[in-house]
Amino acid sequence: MNRSTETLIARLADDLIPVRPMRSVSGLALVAAALAGTLFSVWLAGGFWSDMLAGDAAPFFYVTHGLLLVLGLASASAVVALARPSVGNRQDAPKWAAAMVAILPLTVLSIAFVTGAGTAGLVDEHSTHCLTSGIAASALAFVAMAYWLRRGAPVSTQTASLFAGIAAGAIGSFSYGLSCPIDSTAHLGLWHVLPVPICGILGRLILPRLIRW
Amino acid sequence: MIADETTLSHLMRKSQGGDKAAYTVLLDECASWLQRYFRRRVPPHQLDDLVQDVLLALHNKRESWDAGRAFLPWLAAIARYRWVDHLRKVYRSEADQLEDWDAAEESGEEAVLARLSLERLFVNLPAGQAQVIELVKIEGLSIAEASEKTGQSESLVKVNIHRGLKKLATLIEKAE
Repeated sequence: MNRSTETLIARLADDLIPVRPMRSVSGLALVAAALAGTLFSVWLAGGFWSDMLAGDAAPFFYVTHGLLLVLGLASASAVVALARPSVGNRQDAPKWAAAMVAILPLTVLSIAFVTGAGTAGLVDEHSTHCLTSGIAASALAFVAMAYWLRRGAPVSTQTASLFAGIAAGAIGSFSYGLSCPIDSTAHLGLWHVLPVPICGILGRLILPRLIRW
Repeated sequence: MIADETTLSHLMRKSQGGDKAAYTVLLDECASWLQRYFRRRVPPHQLDDLVQDVLLALHNKRESWDAGRAFLPWLAAIARYRWVDHLRKVYRSEADQLEDWDAAEESGEEAVLARLSLERLFVNLPAGQAQVIELVKIEGLSIAEASEKTGQSESLVKVNIHRGLKKLATLIEKAE
């Protein structure tokens, strides 16, 4: 070992202070707190849809939100793991969860074209509001995951950024969706799912420069 | 001697608790391990810089290691990350030629090293990309020289380097 490496080691050892190791449970607790905070904000802003709470919403409503929640949790778990590098650290669950959620808009579009209805019935007066609200509701989860990744040492920065965006989008859209009284297949399958890829793209574009180290 | 996984994990646990003596031993062992890890993948005169770069990263990100997980795969992921970053920054310099130097005798950690090695990254690249990255970024040939040696056009050499480095970055944790 050369002299400069020995000097560096002596300096680093001299600078050493105790640290608290990053544990999965802390990361998952952060995600849970972000989810709870988002749900609370949505509830404060207008409350949850009463028919949904009473079990009177269309079954597709529960399926859509269940899938969004699973996607959000799978992606967030992957982000938590990716903040702590390790050779052999493969995170494929978000890809499968995203593929399952993608079936929703594909179903809506297929039905629209097979039945000859076209795109006319896909847009309603609340579409843009639900899309933007879902994206806005993703902010807290987005910040939480950016914080976790910055604190950690992600080496797959692009994948981690994409998954963080997807997780935030899914958590945001899930949370906001509980307040939306429209439970038609077209509305849910398109406008409540679209925030996910949009936030995924935003995460992939914005986060790498924030989490590189 | 290169310390084994159990010893390194034990030292790292104590280091996270603030034990400076354990940390000094850990960094010494890591420096030796990294010297072996990067051999043949970094020109000898750049080796110390890269090893020091990884030691600094280890120091700054030491809280990202969880005592419940193995230490060497964590260190190897950081080493790969800094190495890919290093390849991106390296441009030709006259003395970049790798000499056919041999490192110390193989130890019992060889199996672990092999699984974590940088070669595992290269085998996942298309041959054309791996070849030009090796020639230009590691051996220090110019684009023109690499083009002549491989038969690829100069623009293809550049494209292959660009694409290869991007792919390497995505393989840091996956290739094992």
